[in-house]
Amino acid sequence: MGGEVATVTVQTAPPAKIVVRDVGRTFPPASKRSFPIVALREVNCEVYAQEIVGLLGPSGCGKTTLLNLIAGFDRQDQGTISVGGQPVNRPGPDRMMVFQFPALFGWLTVWDNIVFGPRHRGEDEREYVPRARALIEAVGLSGREHDYPHQLSGGMKQRVQLARALLNRPEVLLMDEPFGALDSQTRSQMQELLLQVWGLYHPTILLVTHDPEEALFLCGRVYIMGRDGRIQDSLTVPFPYPRTVGLIGTAEFARLKYELLRALRPDENDQASGGRAGGSLKGGGV
Amino acid sequence: MAAARPRRGNGARLRYSLISWGTVGTILLLWYVATAWGWVSSFVLPSPGQLLAEFRLLLLKGYAGKPLAEHLWASLLRTFTGLGLGIAVGVPVGLLMGYSPTAYAVLSPIFSFLRPIPPIAFIPLMILYFGIGEFSKIALIFLAALYYVVLNSSAGVRTVPRDLIRAGENMGLTRVQLFSHVIFWAALPHIMTGVKTATAVSWAIVVAAELIAAQAGLGFMVMDATTFFRVPNVYIGIIIIGLIGVTLEIITLFLDRRLLHWAGK
Repeated sequence: MGGEVATVTVQTAPPAKIVVRDVGRTFPPASKRSFPIVALREVNCEVYAQEIVGLLGPSGCGKTTLLNLIAGFDRQDQGTISVGGQPVNRPGPDRMMVFQFPALFGWLTVWDNIVFGPRHRGEDEREYVPRARALIEAVGLSGREHDYPHQLSGGMKQRVQLARALLNRPEVLLMDEPFGALDSQTRSQMQELLLQVWGLYHPTILLVTHDPEEALFLCGRVYIMGRDGRIQDSLTVPFPYPRTVGLIGTAEFARLKYELLRALRPDENDQASGGRAGGSLKGGGV
Repeated sequence: MAAARPRRGNGARLRYSLISWGTVGTILLLWYVATAWGWVSSFVLPSPGQLLAEFRLLLLKGYAGKPLAEHLWASLLRTFTGLGLGIAVGVPVGLLMGYSPTAYAVLSPIFSFLRPIPPIAFIPLMILYFGIGEFSKIALIFLAALYYVVLNSSAGVRTVPRDLIRAGENMGLTRVQLFSHVIFWAALPHIMTGVKTATAVSWAIVVAAELIAAQAGLGFMVMDATTFFRVPNVYIGIIIIGLIGVTLEIITLFLDRRLLHWAGK
């Protein structure tokens, strides 16, 4: 199984969509008494075309900071970031963000929210309207086009964000814990939906999450960040697509989830193994 | 259970509404009894009948040589002119203050200085500078409306969620587009709060200004009638002022619902 995935990657040999090199970001102290916060240190990572890559880490480890830098909402202090071969220096529709708390325009209907980008960039309606219809169908929003965001549930709002983002045909889709604020049943539905939509459109996705299960279920590769703002490790997820929920019940899934959980809690690893630094995934046998 | 609940809700609403009408009825009854049985002199408190008769006379003959409608129109015209100008200037200024820290730094001392001063305190100064004509009243209403609209609009911009602005930037909006398609709309609930407050305040100020110096208007009528001990006219003036106030409130609430239906209450 793993061999097949590897072969496909080698055959296509796509150029990296996102390249992050030696990136550091330190936030100035909030007040005179506090200290500067180092959110990212010497971060290196890349995301290849049509991959779903997870950025997994505990809360406050700088995952969202990295996503914001790639989106162009913020500037790094050190290092370089490029997307599609272009260095990032401002926000743009080539890198669409799906926010954790849906940033929908409340005064616009679902339809107007989704076509917002191309409409205001003056693109050809004949081009984007049919695509918008197809996307609405794909994310399961048919019949809700004329609703306003306040009439939608949390899961529905995230479907709107997903369709809105994809209509802009981004080079990469940046997702900031998109299902983190949903109840577990809706979250699981939305994860499956994301995989379905990915199966249709094959967007390149960088997904921030703190949930090892979500990372394993959705992603082809996972970067693990530590509290110190470094990428500590990475994991190539061996499960082939298309994936179904049944995968979560397999022994291999459980084993990898345990590995990721351990990697996220290096302090407890220390106690258990007597080692010093956070354990490597390859070394951690069960 | 579920079917019984709305019926019980309606029943309760009906009961409370009956109680409220009961209060209104009691007051009217007390008023009638107090004047009919001579508890208070009809000179101090005219009877409902007197008031109605006087109102008919007012409709027929007008007040101080001018029809009642002219007094009404004089007050409303001043209010709407001052209020309209205040909104027209206040919204852009407020949006700019909320958006640009420099504009905020420049303008906020002026509004901070004005904050604790009731607008009515400026009436004598306005009369001193601009006389007792229309300009001084409209200028005063304009300033008061401007103040409330500016303050709320700028607060509205400053409370626009950061991710909403980022979403706009993300989709490649120009600065002007970001302002007109995102920031303005996201700030609209606050802007409307400013407009509502400004409307109520404008109406209060126009009456106050007319009480002090005017040749026409409802405030003028009330003040003039008091001077000549025409007490029924005073009451009629006050009642009309109140009814107009309520009407203005209903209009702004209606506008609010139409413009902000998407805010989900």
